[in-house]
Amino acid sequence: MIHYLPTIHSQREGFERLASLAADAEKLRADRLEVDFSKCGFFDANMAASLAALLARIADNLNAVEIVKVPSPIERVLRKNGFLLAYGYSAVDDVNQTTLPFQRIQLSDKGRFADYLKQNLKGKGIPRMTDGLGKVFKQSIFEVFQNAVIHSDSRLGIFVCGQFYPQIQRLDLTIADAGVGIRTNVRRYLGTNVSSTEAIRWALQGGNTTKTGSQPGGVGLKFLKDFVALNKGKVHLASRLGFYEYCDGKETFEKLSADFIGTVVNLEINTGDTQAYRLSSEVSPEDIF
Amino acid sequence: MADEIVVRVFDIVGGPLCVSADDGQTVHDKIAPLLRDNRKVVVSFERVETLISAFLNAAIGQLYGEFTEERIRELLSVRDMTSEDLTMLKRVVDNAKVYFKNRKQFDQAWKEEVGDEE
Repeated sequence: MIHYLPTIHSQREGFERLASLAADAEKLRADRLEVDFSKCGFFDANMAASLAALLARIADNLNAVEIVKVPSPIERVLRKNGFLLAYGYSAVDDVNQTTLPFQRIQLSDKGRFADYLKQNLKGKGIPRMTDGLGKVFKQSIFEVFQNAVIHSDSRLGIFVCGQFYPQIQRLDLTIADAGVGIRTNVRRYLGTNVSSTEAIRWALQGGNTTKTGSQPGGVGLKFLKDFVALNKGKVHLASRLGFYEYCDGKETFEKLSADFIGTVVNLEINTGDTQAYRLSSEVSPEDIF
Repeated sequence: MADEIVVRVFDIVGGPLCVSADDGQTVHDKIAPLLRDNRKVVVSFERVETLISAFLNAAIGQLYGEFTEERIRELLSVRDMTSEDLTMLKRVVDNAKVYFKNRKQFDQAWKEEVGDEE
């Protein structure tokens, strides 16, 4: 089977187009999939994580996956961030040090994510964020990663990739999994057949969690939303047939036309943010419990 | 015996990153037996650089499933936390109180997802 991948940006249409690839190849077993990039005008480098999550599922069905006819500029970026190395391409040195490399992290090896961030966030051309921003940003991405660890049940792992754009002071980071998706967890928890978008809406409410065991939850995504709002960044979330965007104080929930089997969170961070991220009112330790 | 026992999170986790629920569980497993023994516990976050809610849910929020609010208030305290992390912990604790009031039972089986349609 040949699938012609169109232009992929980190927005609803991009996730939808990747989901279409997954839908096309869903019934393929012990076969061959050629992902043809000849019609792809642009590919947001961080979206390599989203694509990798979907291709991992296709490969898990014993299909051989090849990536072909990649336009030179796109090939260069995807070799620089390492995504294409698994498809027989050689590495290209990231001279400007603007990539957060593609990485696949198994759930059993989740400690690697901390090492990944330590190696790839500081220095290397990605300008030092203010201390306040750097701390809150790291917290946010660890929260997203932990969400995937706790909820995804992703046997195929968690996929990470990022790209820094120095001219516009923006850092895009994508964390994707090939797991059960938010809808499945929320349906199981609520016992009702909610839609993917309603499941995402429910999951984003502070205090809502599908955890039923001894550890509470329902705080992390709210923290992320608060951070993105202050930073004037963006967050995208795609899971099964649901898509969510938070941007400029506005939330959008939309249905995707194809099934993104798994969950992906994409953060767009404004690295030029100079807010102190210090609270104006303080909680006393005596008032915690 | 000391009046209170200091639980040093940095030492238990083995570093400055408190970013996993598993590590939070390890810290919880140090605190809970002390509370059961009616010991006063001070949890120190000295040298901790990054702290997330998933960790705190496991380390401290989880205690509200076993101990009453009064007992925790009487025996547990924290120190060496930044203002921002204190605010996060407060949010986690308030959330945990509600969670354990409302949660489904441990042994309730998850309902099966029926069909794939929307």
